[in-house]
This record gives sequence, structure tokens and C-alpha cells, in this order.
Amino acid sequence: MKDKSKPDLVNKTVSWNRRTFFEMLTAVVAGTVAIATPFVVGVVSFLSPLFKKNSNPQVRIALLSQIPDDGMPRSFPVVTDHVDAWTKYPEQRVGSVYLVRNQGAAKPIAFTAKCPHAGCFIGYKPGDELFRCPCHTSAFNLDGTRERGDAEVAPRDMDRLPVELRTVESTDDNGPTEVWIEFIDFQTGHKEAISTV
Amino acid sequence: MSSPLRTLVDWLDNRTGVRGLLHEALYERVPGGARWRYVWGSTLVIAFVSQMITGTFLWMAYSPSTQTAWESVFYIQYEMTGGWLLRGLHHYMAHAMVVLLAIHFAQVVWDGAYRAPRELNFVIGVALMLVVFGLSLTGYLLPWDQKGYWATSVGTNLASQAPVVGPEFKKLAIGGVDYGHHTLTRFLALHAGVLPGLLIALLVPHIALFRRHGLHAREPLKGPDAMFWPDQLLKDSIAALGVVAAVFVLAIYGGGAELTAPADPANPYNAARPEWYFLFLFQFLKWFPGELEVWGAFVIPGVIVTTLFLMPWIGRTRGGHLFNVGLLVILLGGVVLLTAQAVRDDYFAAWYERTEANAHKFDASQAFLDAEKNAEREAERVIELARSPEKIPPTGALSLMAQDPYLQGPKLFAQNCAGCHTHVDRSDGADSTHNMDGKSATAPNLFGLGTREWVAAILDPDQVADADHFGYQESPFAEGTMVDWVQSTVPDLDQEHVDQVVAALAAESASSGNRVNERGVDKQKIAAGFQLIKEEIGCTDCHKFHEVNNEGGAPDLTGYMSRDWLMDFIRNPSSERFYGEYNDRMPAFAPHDNPQLNQLDDQTLGLIVDWLRGD
Ligand code: HEC
Ligand code: HEC
Repeated sequence: MKDKSKPDLVNKTVSWNRRTFFEMLTAVVAGTVAIATPFVVGVVSFLSPLFKKNSNPQVRIALLSQIPDDGMPRSFPVVTDHVDAWTKYPEQRVGSVYLVRNQGAAKPIAFTAKCPHAGCFIGYKPGDELFRCPCHTSAFNLDGTRERGDAEVAPRDMDRLPVELRTVESTDDNGPTEVWIEFIDFQTGHKEAISTV
Repeated sequence: MSSPLRTLVDWLDNRTGVRGLLHEALYERVPGGARWRYVWGSTLVIAFVSQMITGTFLWMAYSPSTQTAWESVFYIQYEMTGGWLLRGLHHYMAHAMVVLLAIHFAQVVWDGAYRAPRELNFVIGVALMLVVFGLSLTGYLLPWDQKGYWATSVGTNLASQAPVVGPEFKKLAIGGVDYGHHTLTRFLALHAGVLPGLLIALLVPHIALFRRHGLHAREPLKGPDAMFWPDQLLKDSIAALGVVAAVFVLAIYGGGAELTAPADPANPYNAARPEWYFLFLFQFLKWFPGELEVWGAFVIPGVIVTTLFLMPWIGRTRGGHLFNVGLLVILLGGVVLLTAQAVRDDYFAAWYERTEANAHKFDASQAFLDAEKNAEREAERVIELARSPEKIPPTGALSLMAQDPYLQGPKLFAQNCAGCHTHVDRSDGADSTHNMDGKSATAPNLFGLGTREWVAAILDPDQVADADHFGYQESPFAEGTMVDWVQSTVPDLDQEHVDQVVAALAAESASSGNRVNERGVDKQKIAAGFQLIKEEIGCTDCHKFHEVNNEGGAPDLTGYMSRDWLMDFIRNPSSERFYGEYNDRMPAFAPHDNPQLNQLDDQTLGLIVDWLRGD
């Protein structure tokens, strides 16, 4: 069964000369181009995420008065317009941040809740003295540093986001102060904080 | 064979050579006769075919986009006839495939069946194994539920750490910087198109080469050689049936595959874990903190997979073969150990007591268990909502959740109120999770507010000044007017009158919102109480109640704890209508007319209030 006697046709050898060489070359090139054309076009559109430009949104997080200067983290959702391919979600929660205002500080510190290790959500229970990541049990002090330093699974301290205070325009010049942040999405797993954008 | 059939077969054979093919397929020599130990490869093929069948039918009902993926899977699971079973079969068969793969692989290595001339086929087999892993990775995300979403996002985040190409690879895999529509479209294309195609493309030569080399017989042979048909085919079929039966039982026992709440990028799923057969990797990674992770995630697994590919050449000598078998044993043993360890870590808090020494571990495990319980609660609730006659809105199931007081209330309470208040049901003594450790409450316990028990407690001289009511830590009200009044006056009141007052004040809470109006039931009692509050018992010496005593001085009791009352109260407790200048630290959450200036918008407030009231 295995060694089927092959028809003679196959065994006939082709005599090599320049003509057959060019024939073969043309066949190979033509065939490759024919198959590569649709493939390349497909690959280019497949690669389109690499060509897209993105920027980090500025987001209003809270009123300054919501963050007493007691050094305790408070969790706030990050609400901003979010575009996902063809859908625009107005005012979506795209993440969450912890704001901590230490005693006497004018500005709070903002930590993104995304764990620098693998992107899980770092949790905080009011009253606790640590942030805890549920996935691989990384723990961070309230200033964002890793509890056990380099022995921690997380490769770096919690990521801080730039904070800006803006005073709301109002008739009596006494408008409340708002806390704005630049919501940067950082790559996980590296020692340095690198934006994904 | 009857002659028309024979004519037909002849006709077919003439044009396709089908007889020869069939003959070749069935009359394969099985050295030493049919044996059960030869069935694993065939069961894998059957498992894969079964996956293609169930998968195709799932595909017919699946819609890959972030607003429709979970929703369509929900529909399969809960609305389509037998849909849950279809999902269940696909889900558990995927598990079965991994188990069968492990057996098949272990057997081949153990028997040294990779030796010449079968090296290439072994390599193809390892590649097949990787494709199957790829299929289960991509499939895990498709329901777009919390579990799959967060587990996969941990996975792709890891992948993005791969040296050099990592970040680009991730972007391509998920179709952008964030998870979204294109993550689903890509994963579906991989899961239902590219990977199965690749699998078939590898499986065909795998089987062809297997046929070419013949079955690798295990010495000593148990009997005379036989043909594949009928003995081995029978054994294979029975084994395949056994696998399908086991999967069927699992699917029925499990009620189909699990579906957790819809994926919500802003709502962490703290119990995110990969499927059990990848748990070992998850656990393995814990050994590689920080920058070392590259070793755990890429270098070591890479070396191991490369070694697997090289096994046929390593195993050429006797020592090499022993090395391979040793590696196999270590790998399988390691996987079992790591998996057990991962499970133990997660369920530690359920199995052990908390001590000083294990505090870290215990708390992590407790967090996992809490998250799991919470996720179950969420899943149950959202499925209940989706099954209600309201169904799922065009914006998807996530918006169902976002507008549900039962789900959002506790979260918003934890965020905004739990810094001061507790919410503890004293009747069963259980501490609810959204409290700031219970002990340090600096404001009243808000559980069951406005109910008869609640009002009765305020009018009870023994309870009014306890920690759940006006006696919270550092309360200025602990010796305030109301406590004073209750403690000095109420003991002298007729108990029946007190009961009537309680009933009447509790009935106020039903004046707006969905609370069941008790007026119909206890009409007379409530009417009597209403009269007492208004005129006779003295409440209106201080409080406003309906049109009596417009001056106030104490919180307005009109519509006390009704939806409107609560909304207004939380918007601004310092207003004259409520505590005025006597307000303790309770913040005004929405005192401004301009919503931009307020801490909470009306919708959020409504969610908290509805939840507190149990509407
Ligand atoms: C002597 C004045 C006075 C009388 C009489 C009085 N209250 Fe009060 N009540 C207060 C004050 C003042 C407060 C606010 C707390 C405080 O300052 O102690 C209060 C608080 C309350 C509260 C809690 C309000 C909240 O924010 O949850 C309830 C309920 C209440 N009173 C019901 C009654 C009822 C019912 C009566 C009549 C049976 C009554 N009170 C009689 C002065 C009074
Ligand atoms: C800074 C601490 C604090 C926060 C935060 C806080 N409260 Fe209060 N709350 C109080 C105090 C203190 C009282 C006692 C009465 C008063 O001073 O107004 C109170 C009273 C109340 C009452 C009246 C119940 C009673 O027993 O008299 C309700 C209802 C209430 N709070 C709801 C809420 C809700 C809902 C939130 C979250 C959106 C919240 N509170 C956030 C401190 C707080």
C-alpha cells in the first residue's frame, strides 16, 4: 500500500537549460506575488493598532474639599469619555485613582489603582495601613512604595499621576477647587514607568 | 450489499477511490492486537471534533463586541433551549482535552515513542499542544465576563513584558492600547478561525505520519498482530464515548459553564485567576518578583518548551531517554505541586486560623474569598436583572449594573459614607464588608433606616445613645436635646402610645420611594400615632411635622427617611430643615444647584438612598 508505484510522468526528468530556469523563476515569483498581495494587505490592516496615535486624557477627579489632609487614601473613579473603535462612551469609568493628602499638603498625591506588576486593581480598605494587590499579593505603603522593597512581586512602586488644582470660575471668586489628573496608563512589569501611549 | 447500493459505491469508487481509502484506514496493522492503552490519540481527535461541533453552534449565537459578547453568551446560557448544555459541553471538553493531552504526551515520552523515525511527528505533536493551549487562552476571554476579562488581561499584560516586542505584541493581540471591541473580534478570529485551522493543518500530517510509521507498539506484545478494524476501532470508540459521557456529566453537574458579571474595566475582579490548568504558571510567577519576572514568564518556560521539542534527539541514547522521562516526571509533579499550592494560597483563610505568623497570607486569601463571594453576588444579580421583563438595554448589561442600587449602593457607600457610618445588621450579628472595621464608626449605623425597629431604637432610652445611634464616637448628640428628651420623657409615656408613634413615624418613610406602605395594615395605629406626634406627645415642640411647627429647631420629621427626605438630607444636612448649625461632621454632598460643583450627582445619590432604604 505504502509505496504506490508512481506514474512514469513524474519520474521523467526535465532537462535544465536557461529557458526552464526562467520559467521556474517566473512561476515562483508570480505565485508568490499572487498569494502575498492579499496577505500583505490583510497584515497591514491587522497592524493598524500600531499606527494609531493616542493621548492621555486630563480628568477632573474630585473637589479638593473631598480629600481631607489626613494622609488616608480615598478611592475615586476616573470618569472620562472613552472611545473604543467605533463606539464613544461619554463619561465612562476608565479606571480609578487613590488620592492621598498628607497633613498640611496643598495638593493630594494621585496613585493609579493599576498594579505595576500585572495590571490588577490594587485594593484599599479604609483604615488599613497598606494598599494590597489581590492578584499576586503585592503590598504598598500609603506613600506608594512597596512594602517589602525589591522582594515584592511588583517591579516598582505604585505609579503616580500628575495632579493639577483648578479653581472653578464663579461670580464671587470663591469657587471650589477641583483636583485634575493626567490619566496615564503605564506599562506593567518594568522597573521604570513607561506610558503605553 | 443490495445491488443498487453496490452500483452507487462502485460509481463513487470509480471516481474517488473511496474503497481503497477506507481499506487503508481500517486495515492498519496493530502489532500485538488491540489494547486500551492505544486509545488516547483517538480520544483527542474526537474531543477536538466535538469542540468544532459545539463551537460552531456557539458561534452561531455569539456576537463579538463589548456591548454584545456577554449579552449573547447570557442569551445562550439562559434563554436558548439547551444553550447551557452546549456551553457546558464546550467548556468541559476543553478541560478534558488538556487532561487527554497530558496523558497522550506522558505516554509517548514514557514509551520513548519519539525515537526515529518518529521525531518529526513528535515535534508536530508538541506544536499541537501549544495550539490547544492557545485555543483555551483565547476562548477564556470570549464570554467577556469579569473572570475571563481580568484573567486574560493579566495574561496579556505579562505578554507585554516579553523582551523587545512585548508591548507591540500586546497591542496587536488586543487590537489597541485598551481592551475593547477589537480585542473580541481578534480573539474570536483566532479562536474560531486561525487556531483551529492551524490545528487541522498540523493534525493531518500528525495522523498521516502516524499511519506511515505505524503504531508504536508497547513491548511485550500481548498477542498476535491484528487489524485496526474492528478491535481497536471498537476500543477507541468506547473510550471516546467515555470521554464524552464524562464531559456530559460534568456539564450537567456544573449547570453549564460559569458566567460571571459582565466585564467592567473600572471594577476590579479581585479573584481573577486563569483556568485551573494554567494555575501552576500563575503560582510559578509568584517566585519571580520584579524584574526577575522575565525569567518566570519567558526564559524558563521557553527553555522547557524548547527542551520538549528536542526530546527525540535527546532521547537517542538510553541516558537521554531517562533524562526525558525524568524531566516529564518533574514537570508533571511540579505542575501538580504548584497547582495545589495556588489553591491552598487562595483558600487558606477558609481552611486555617489566622495567626500572627500567617497574617499576610491569610489576609490575601481572605481578600480573594471576599472578592469571589462578591463576584457571585454580582453575577446572580445582573443575571436576575437581565432575565427580568426589562431585559438588557442597547447599551449592554454593564449599564444595567451601573443603575442598580443593590449593586452600586454598597460600593458607593464604601466610597463616600463608610469613612464615618456603619451599615451593620445587628439582628444576625454579622458584620457586613463595606464598613470601616466596625469599631471605629464615628456616625450612626445606617442599617434599616426608617423602619419601625429603627424608629423604636431612637425612642428607646436604652438605645438612643448607643454607638449605633446618637452615641457614636465623640458624638455631640450623646448628651444632646433628643437623647435628653428621650431619656427623661419616654419612660413616663404609655407604651401603647410609643408604639403608635413608632408606627406612624416609620410610615412616613413610605411617603416617597418604593417602600411598602404600612398604612393599609395598621391604619388605626398609624393614624393615632400621627395625631400623637403632631399634637399631643410633644415632638412638635422641637420638630416640624407636616404643617405643625414651621420654625424647626430640630430635624424635620415630615416624610422622615422617605426617598425625598433622605435625598434632601444627604444633599445638605446643614440646611435649616435638618441639623442646621448643629450638624456634626456629616458633609453636604450636593448643596449646590449647579451639579458641577457637587460631590455627588442626583443619580448617584439616588442609588445610595435606594440601597439604604432597600428599595
Ligand atoms: C426637646 C426637643 C425635642 C423633642 C420634644 C423631640 N425631639 Fe427629636 N430631636 C431633637 C433634636 C435637637 C434632634 C437632633 C439631635 C440632637 O441634637 O440631639 C432630634 C432628632 C430626632 C431624630 C433623628 C433625626 C435624624 O436625623 O435621623 C428623630 C427620629 C427624632 N428626633 C424623633 C422625635 C420624635 C418622634 C419625637 C416625639 C416623640 C421627638 N423627636 C421629640 C429634639 C427634640
Ligand atoms: C464625615 C463623616 C460622615 C460622612 C462621610 C457621612 N456622614 Fe452621614 N452623618 C454623619 C454624622 C456625624 C451624622 C449625625 C447627624 C449629623 O451630624 O448630621 C450623620 C447622619 C446621617 C444620617 C441621619 C441618620 C441619623 O441617624 O440621624 C443619614 C441618613 C446619613 N448621615 C447618611 C449619610 C450618607 C448616605 C453618607 C454617604 C453619602 C454619609 N452620611 C456620609 C457623618 C457622616
